[in-house]
Amino acid sequence: MADGGLALSRRALDYPASDLSGVIPDEAELTAGVRIRAGHSYGFFTDTTLCIGCKACEVACKEWNNLPADHVGMTGDSYDNTGHLSANTWRHVALIERVADRPTEMRPFQSGWLMMSDVCKHCHNAPCLEACPTGALFKTEFDTVVVQQDICNGCGYCVAACPFGVVDLSADDGKAHKCTLCYDRLKGGLEPACAKSCPTDSISFGELPELHARAEKRLAKLHEIGVSSAYLYGMPDGPGATGGIGHLNAFFLLTETPETYNLPRAPTRPADRVAPSLAAGLATVAALAMTAFAVFARRT
Amino acid sequence: MQSLDGVVTLVQEGRFLMQSDAGPYHVFILSHAAAAEPDQLAALQRDQARVRVRFKRGRDTIAMVAHQIERLPGRAASG
Repeated sequence: MADGGLALSRRALDYPASDLSGVIPDEAELTAGVRIRAGHSYGFFTDTTLCIGCKACEVACKEWNNLPADHVGMTGDSYDNTGHLSANTWRHVALIERVADRPTEMRPFQSGWLMMSDVCKHCHNAPCLEACPTGALFKTEFDTVVVQQDICNGCGYCVAACPFGVVDLSADDGKAHKCTLCYDRLKGGLEPACAKSCPTDSISFGELPELHARAEKRLAKLHEIGVSSAYLYGMPDGPGATGGIGHLNAFFLLTETPETYNLPRAPTRPADRVAPSLAAGLATVAALAMTAFAVFARRT
Repeated sequence: MQSLDGVVTLVQEGRFLMQSDAGPYHVFILSHAAAAEPDQLAALQRDQARVRVRFKRGRDTIAMVAHQIERLPGRAASG
């Protein structure tokens, strides 16, 4: 297979027919080169230099998860009429037009556009999960973060806690929604719908250690051919995985600053701010009590 | 409130797809005000159950918000 690509599984030769009698066991082995097993960590590596903005991932996600179309209409923001992630949109292809490059400085090959398929990052230390008071958010056996709909009470703490602005409450059912990394598909041995539909393999699905190695190799290749601005966002303790988040199970290869892609430069866990906030509150109470005592003592 | 009869063909969390008796498919979201929970929907899909759904139009979505689901006698014709 070509450099960086996936080798064709020998098992693919077992299924030459167009029509199949049922689901292929461990189908992800054929489509993504990985056998899905409980107890292993899975995620996405999104290489934005390969994204062509086709939105196949958005459509595949909506189709598989039976998510309705929302925000129908034109945003006026270039070709991006999806806008942002929401309760009904779990994949969002950002089309970022670099107007400064036009028209006199337009360079070939995606020079005028940045495209990135955004998704829930499935943080290692997930702030949404830490904030959930009912336990509706949990870590699955595949090391992903999922909202259990029958337990969610719609309090919205997870919405405020997410440093990436991913989780959203639905106005229709009052519950929090976000990407499940196709939990049901993983349980059935299937690759997530978005990664499977990606025509350029900009979205890779796999086990995290293997994805990290693949990302490092791709980064080295890009640096070698002169794309010195390329870097990885969400690798362990790297950019995007700051503030105790650890690492992102859905991480990215970017070529511009995180803010350009509407990603935070240094995301943090709100849980880390509880102790300082509590200390500040207690100190304030103590200071007010001492002042009141001093005023009262002077009067008497 | 409008109502529609049909067969539940697909369920994901609190969302379900229903093929109406007239033929077209419609996406429904289970309302927070409905007297049903998302995990009760799976049985309707498993049985390919015929149901009557009372609904309102969704806000800023191409979907209906189901406020009441009534199971009807019979099930989808196979084949």
